[in-house]
Amino acid sequence: MAQSAEEIPARLKKIDTIVDCDFHVTERQEDILPYLPEPWSNVFGRSKGDDYGFLSSLYPSAGLINPITTGKVQSESVRSKEEAQVGIDLIHSDKVVITPTLNLYLGCVRNEEVAAALAHAYNEWLLDTMIDTDRGMYGAAVVAPQKPQKAAEEIDDRASEDGIAAVFFPSGGISPLAGAEKYYPIYEAAEANGLPVMMHNASGNMMTAFPRAFADLTRFISSHVVAHPMMHMCNMADMITRGVPVRFPDLNFVVQEAGLGYIPYFMRRFDHEYHSKKEDAPMLEAEPSEYIRRNFSFTSQPIEGTGEPEYVDSMVRLMGGEDNLMFSSDYPHLDFDYTDEMMNLLPSFDVDELNNVYGQNALETFDF
Amino acid sequence: MSSEPVETDDGKTLYPVEPAANLGEGERITVNIKGREITLFNSNDEFHAVLNFCPHQGGPLCEGLLDGTLTMEDWEWTYSCDGEIVSCPWHGWEFDIKTGEHLSKSDYRVPTYDVVVRDGEVYVVE
Repeated sequence: MAQSAEEIPARLKKIDTIVDCDFHVTERQEDILPYLPEPWSNVFGRSKGDDYGFLSSLYPSAGLINPITTGKVQSESVRSKEEAQVGIDLIHSDKVVITPTLNLYLGCVRNEEVAAALAHAYNEWLLDTMIDTDRGMYGAAVVAPQKPQKAAEEIDDRASEDGIAAVFFPSGGISPLAGAEKYYPIYEAAEANGLPVMMHNASGNMMTAFPRAFADLTRFISSHVVAHPMMHMCNMADMITRGVPVRFPDLNFVVQEAGLGYIPYFMRRFDHEYHSKKEDAPMLEAEPSEYIRRNFSFTSQPIEGTGEPEYVDSMVRLMGGEDNLMFSSDYPHLDFDYTDEMMNLLPSFDVDELNNVYGQNALETFDF
Repeated sequence: MSSEPVETDDGKTLYPVEPAANLGEGERITVNIKGREITLFNSNDEFHAVLNFCPHQGGPLCEGLLDGTLTMEDWEWTYSCDGEIVSCPWHGWEFDIKTGEHLSKSDYRVPTYDVVVRDGEVYVVE
């Protein structure tokens, strides 16, 4: 590696303590299986599975191409204290909370007894192999959401171990969602033991649960907060990555009723992903955000954060709203916006820009 | 290194890296020139010199995979530019070793250096 532990960047020297709260190990199935309790030890002991585990039946995967599967990124192995120290030195962290990789997929293991056994085995391996508080190596005890009572017992057993700093809840792919009463034993055990619950998805396991996740939302607020922007982000991500604006360069899409803050977030997150994974969308000739600015417009209602004009103003600036935001009221729905609501929230916008937002952008977009 | 830097008539300096015969097709060597790590690639029987520093987050760019990239023509996936693209092993940012250009982000560029071969020795030009 280009940097050594001695070469601490100047800007980091001002910081007293650096805690890396998501420091992954790259455990493999073969690391874990020897620790399985009976009867699983006996059953799976006859087979080692494949080399990395993702392709075997125990940990489901969505099978998407990424820079690790194509060999572009040489993801380091972290399966021993010595290998962990390499990463700790590279990041210049004083303490790390070790989180899993393969067990990010634990939430979508279908056999709940096997899931609990795999969590147990991972924790045994973690404590045996990785935890070392003298070297700042702490860990999060993985639990299987599928088996909450077993998970609670796992928390009770692990909490007193030196170096267990948290409970790790593999939240991607779970059903029902994390608010369900089913999980209360996990939360009660974590609370009683003074441990935080870390929630961490993998994109591959979220894909297995997105439709169910919508279906599992049990209240109107929770659905309304996330459903509109999530659905828009899924659709736009798919459209742009698969080249819809390239095939239809003059086609405009009007995206509605999901708020504003997700738009600059989505544009920047999309660009950030694209620049390390261009060959996943090889037809694109510009950044995803440029296609969003060119081919997509957004209607304003419902505006979140209306008590903070500086927030709304900056979000609209960051999305390029002077060119792509169009006023909407959603009257007479229960969350409709009155006409001048938005104007009071855009103090940095001059008259021309307000005119764009209130009419000109729509005139250019719609075939009136 | 087998020889000393050579000053040229036009004010440049040739820094010797390696006898050309020692660097086979697809091989690379990283040397320190005036405090900078510079990697010399022999790719497709041409030499290319690239700074071993990813402008994204400072990763060791030239330690990464040297291959091609997936591209698209008429909406068909193709594999092209074999041996011309180096991927930073930290985050997979891809750069053309001939030009130093990032494949998707035009404002990111890694420095490249001219290379000459004299009397069987490969020099990086500065």
